[in-house]
Amino acid sequence: MILEALEREGVEYIFGYPGGANLPIYQHLPEHPNLKHILVRHEQGAAHMADGYARASGKPGVVFATSGPGALNLVTGLCTAYMDSVPMIAITGQVVSTQVGRDAFQESDVIGATSSVTKHSYLVTRIDQLPRVIHEAFHIATTGRPGPVLIDICKDVQQADAERITPQYLDLPGYKLNGHVNLDQARQAAQALAGAERPVILAGHGVLLSHAERELMQLSEAAAAPVGTTLLGIGAFPVKHPLSLHMTGFMGTGWCLKAVQNADVLMMVGMRVDDRVTAKLSEFAPNVKTFIHVDIDESEMGKNVRPHIELVADARLALEAMLPHVGKVQADRGNWLAQIDEWREEHPLRYRHSNGQLQPQDVLIDMYRRAKSEAIVVADVGQNQIWAALWWNYDRPGLFINSGGSGTMGFALPAAIGAKFGRPDLPVWCVAGEGGFVMTAQELSVAVEHQLDVKIVLLNNFSLGMVRQFQDDFYGGVRSQVDLTHMPDFVKLCEAYGLPALRVEKFEDIAPSFDAAERTKGPFLIDFRIDPEANVYPIVPLGKGLNEFREAPEYA
Amino acid sequence: MLEMKPKPAAAPLPVKGKETRIRVLSLLVEDGQNTLTKVSGVIRRRGFHVRGISVGPSRQPGRSRITLQIDHGHAEADQVRKQLERLVEVVEVEDLTGDEVHSRELIVAKVAASELEALLQRGAKVLSTGPDGTTVEFSGDADEVGDFVNELARHGIVEVVRSGPVVMRRTE
Repeated sequence: MILEALEREGVEYIFGYPGGANLPIYQHLPEHPNLKHILVRHEQGAAHMADGYARASGKPGVVFATSGPGALNLVTGLCTAYMDSVPMIAITGQVVSTQVGRDAFQESDVIGATSSVTKHSYLVTRIDQLPRVIHEAFHIATTGRPGPVLIDICKDVQQADAERITPQYLDLPGYKLNGHVNLDQARQAAQALAGAERPVILAGHGVLLSHAERELMQLSEAAAAPVGTTLLGIGAFPVKHPLSLHMTGFMGTGWCLKAVQNADVLMMVGMRVDDRVTAKLSEFAPNVKTFIHVDIDESEMGKNVRPHIELVADARLALEAMLPHVGKVQADRGNWLAQIDEWREEHPLRYRHSNGQLQPQDVLIDMYRRAKSEAIVVADVGQNQIWAALWWNYDRPGLFINSGGSGTMGFALPAAIGAKFGRPDLPVWCVAGEGGFVMTAQELSVAVEHQLDVKIVLLNNFSLGMVRQFQDDFYGGVRSQVDLTHMPDFVKLCEAYGLPALRVEKFEDIAPSFDAAERTKGPFLIDFRIDPEANVYPIVPLGKGLNEFREAPEYA
Repeated sequence: MLEMKPKPAAAPLPVKGKETRIRVLSLLVEDGQNTLTKVSGVIRRRGFHVRGISVGPSRQPGRSRITLQIDHGHAEADQVRKQLERLVEVVEVEDLTGDEVHSRELIVAKVAASELEALLQRGAKVLSTGPDGTTVEFSGDADEVGDFVNELARHGIVEVVRSGPVVMRRTE
């Protein structure tokens, strides 16, 4: 009955792991060849695969896990999806309903453990609840602000025979969807933007989720307002567009940060305005007279920054409603845009490429040259994530996937595998540091088993690079527990898993290694031994305001 | 400097202590195994603090009424309502903070039998009398119940229990 319901919801892939409490579901799986099940090597990998699948394809990712440890292994993956508003359905087995609460074998309070990292969750103890619950779960996961929904199903329910599938219906009186736009507020927002002297628009993940990229560009061009994106909003606005400020936040570009700090009207669209975007809150955008906030989740209004004009609505509908009211831009934008260009000249992205060591930026630039924006990059967390965000010029949505809110190390490999299942037509690159990579490296088996064309770019600096950089810069230079010299030989590790791999230590070998990767069908790993002292710049020191960003030294 | 001024909030109910941080909310929720966990989970996760709670059935079958007094901590005051409204189990949230309301709490106390007069004058009702004392009940708003507890203390309390508040908007 569960599997039929999933077929009805249009599910194609399930990422899962069987165990004692979900055996009845697995018993019937072979009867459903339309449901392709991907056997993972750890449940966390299943959650990240479903996450990557959902972000790449736009369809909800589906996960199976058994009770107890199986379900609890999903928690990190659920949290990752929850923080980044990714639609996901996790179906976990629970002990027999009469055993609940008796500390039965592999029993755990899964609802209790996952409530704060799911959009909603259900415990199903009776078969008649099941069709409605599954239908509701997909509805909740994919509408409004998307998110993961967990369904914990007792084993006896999985085994129960249902005479007939009851008609599907939604019974959700407490589920509120904020789709509609308050036209009065939209007009006010448009006029504030048009009337500004120094406007800036910041675009977040919500722009991508509501497919508002076209409306964003129209509004930006009509109002001559430059656009920066958050880390998760990358792709919402083409980086090469003359009005692009690239990425904002405490590792954003210098010209974007200066624009934000000097803006008089700041419009924030589809974003949470979290601490990584604001840095020190009391010093965030100090010259702004009018904050405009557009988000579908009402609780984002004033959670961190109190807006003067708020639009609780779908980003695309809100921007669309604003467009006709922008009218004629009153102020002369020439000076403001010229000022931003000056800052762009003054604070370019730069890195050291003269010390004879392999630089991560060299690797990414070569990758980008080959991909020409026709590839998905799935980054892990840490320095590799920021390098991959800043050194590619993403000009379309959905090409950059990373764990922005939760910052989950080990995300990249399984998420890249999921992304490849979701978008088999696009090349998929996984960019990871060696620290995060080994956290979920067991999923290499999945890539090999399905001969997935996932190319893994390991930026290996023998240390926890971001932590090392923070220790160097902000914690008195004390390098504590960041050394990762004792790691496997990654080429041999790949050999053991059954995929080809190369080690690259010199600049000249970058291009040939990528040639080899592109020539090879199926998964491929390149272990780039990068400069262990390479840092992420710009960076705002912890606890400081955005205007205090530090830049890369001017290298000779 | 960034202006972080909250929406003009109505004056809060008089509650001893951090007066300005208390929100009074009336929730209509769906009955279910997870509802109370979800509600209390959100309160904890967002850094709020429960100062008073009462739960009972509502007029609608399958739904309960939760009355909450919540300290909103460092968050903007209206976050309490917004965060609770995100819960699928919560059908309706009414923010009664600062409104004209009837707010009642119930107290049941056991005192020495001979000392009843002052309590009865305040409106206490006798529930039972026995050799070891008399049990009375009293209801009132937070201040009245607070004063009643002070009065009880003078008579030597044997045992006392006090409910959370139930609050209804005045509509005269």
